[in-house]
Amino acid sequence: MTIAYTFRWDLVPESAGALAHGLKVTLELSALSFLLSLALGLVVALCRLAPSRPLRAAAYAYTQVFRALSLYVYVLFLYFGIAAVFGINLGTFTAGVVALTLLNSAYMAEIYRAAIRSVEHGQREAALALGLGHTRSFSSVVLPQAIRVAVPGLVNQLVDIVKDSSIVAVIGVFDLMGTTIQLVNSERAPFELYTVTALTYIALILLVSAAAALLERRLGRHLAGGGAGPGPLSRMRAYRFGGEVPA
Amino acid sequence: MSESGAAGADQDVVVAEGIHKTFNRGARGREVQVLRGVDLRVQKGEVLVVIGPSGSGKSTLLRCLNFIAPPDAGSVTFLGRTLTGNVPRRRPAARLRYERELRFFRTHIGMVFQHFNLFPHMTAAENVALAPTRALGLPRREAMERSLEELARVGMADKVDAYPSQLSGGQKQRVAIARALAMRPQLMLFDEATSALDPELIGGVLDEMKRLAESGMTMIVVTHEMGFAREVGDRVVFMDEGRIVEEGRASELIENPQNERTQAFLSAILS
Repeated sequence: MTIAYTFRWDLVPESAGALAHGLKVTLELSALSFLLSLALGLVVALCRLAPSRPLRAAAYAYTQVFRALSLYVYVLFLYFGIAAVFGINLGTFTAGVVALTLLNSAYMAEIYRAAIRSVEHGQREAALALGLGHTRSFSSVVLPQAIRVAVPGLVNQLVDIVKDSSIVAVIGVFDLMGTTIQLVNSERAPFELYTVTALTYIALILLVSAAAALLERRLGRHLAGGGAGPGPLSRMRAYRFGGEVPA
Repeated sequence: MSESGAAGADQDVVVAEGIHKTFNRGARGREVQVLRGVDLRVQKGEVLVVIGPSGSGKSTLLRCLNFIAPPDAGSVTFLGRTLTGNVPRRRPAARLRYERELRFFRTHIGMVFQHFNLFPHMTAAENVALAPTRALGLPRREAMERSLEELARVGMADKVDAYPSQLSGGQKQRVAIARALAMRPQLMLFDEATSALDPELIGGVLDEMKRLAESGMTMIVVTHEMGFAREVGDRVVFMDEGRIVEEGRASELIENPQNERTQAFLSAILS
């Protein structure tokens, strides 16, 4: 089999500027959506655990409904659907942020909720017995422990957000993906350009994971003997050489 | 009750009357009546030991006294202030007053738990300093000084920066005692404080409790340690099925129980 394709790798450095700009948009989109989801997800989780029945029901509906649609549907609905009926043009970037936030905050609410419930009941009891009010008991004792449990799940959502943010290209956001598609259309070099973009996404995700591992280690200082605990290197060594993986 | 004399009233630290508590209340078929009308009176400096089989309501009784588990009926009078489990939810002013009283109870009643319940994300010193800052509003530095002082008093001066996961059970319980004492309580509740400890660590914690009793602290101690009950306890109550079945001077009740359920319980755990 012969390959009839002419590689044009020289296009890559030429497109670097445009791709870098696209990357910047992807980062902004992801960071903003992540921070908003973190906050909104916590609020929804707190509502789900609230004593008020209507509040619980509303939060339950939120998590169920907003997890039921794919990001693709969201983005199109928010951008085109809403604009057609109400004449509101959210703007492509905003529509993307709203879509990412609604979906991911619903997932994060479930992560938070599970994490909060995982904190032993005696912790809250001890805080109350010491004279801390409900709010203080939660904010000083329960939440900090829950956050540590939630971190891996929340980081997972961040990874999803970074990856899924590429979908907003469908409404014309010039993020990394949108920019790449545009370049491919004009330059007709899909292999080279998509390769670069794919590698960029991979690098981004690896970076996020590495940062998350550091954060987890820092937050986990108090656990398991309290020392610094095994770092990523010793874990990797253990995997490679078949030793026992340190917890 | 033996000491309801005239000298009593102003010496009373805590008086509980007609305490009832049911778990899963309202859930048909799953209701569990844990306390069925308990009266209790503890005077200043007194050490009351509560014994009884598991499920007899001892722990729940302690939790009713500081309203961690609010009683369904009955009242608790602590240092002359009376509170019931009835929160006036619909009247904001009354509710505010209720919350203030509740805070008075909890900031003046220390509690030590069977499973320590130390906050795992804080060092020993931070565990002890938390409530003085967050519940009493002490400046951080002052709270830390108080924390180090209390930790030194229970022999944990060299572990102030340790996290709970780095401590043995006995050490954890000492930190928990220091944490409660840092609030300068007028009453200490011990809920099976040595039951989760390895046998060789029990003595140290009991010594700490004994020292506290000798310093004049008013204490209610739920325990299975009969040696401690006899030596340190002034009075013992025996609970069974949510009621106080027998009550008396510590040595007398343990050596010469009158009620047959008390006899059966004591002979079972002393043999």
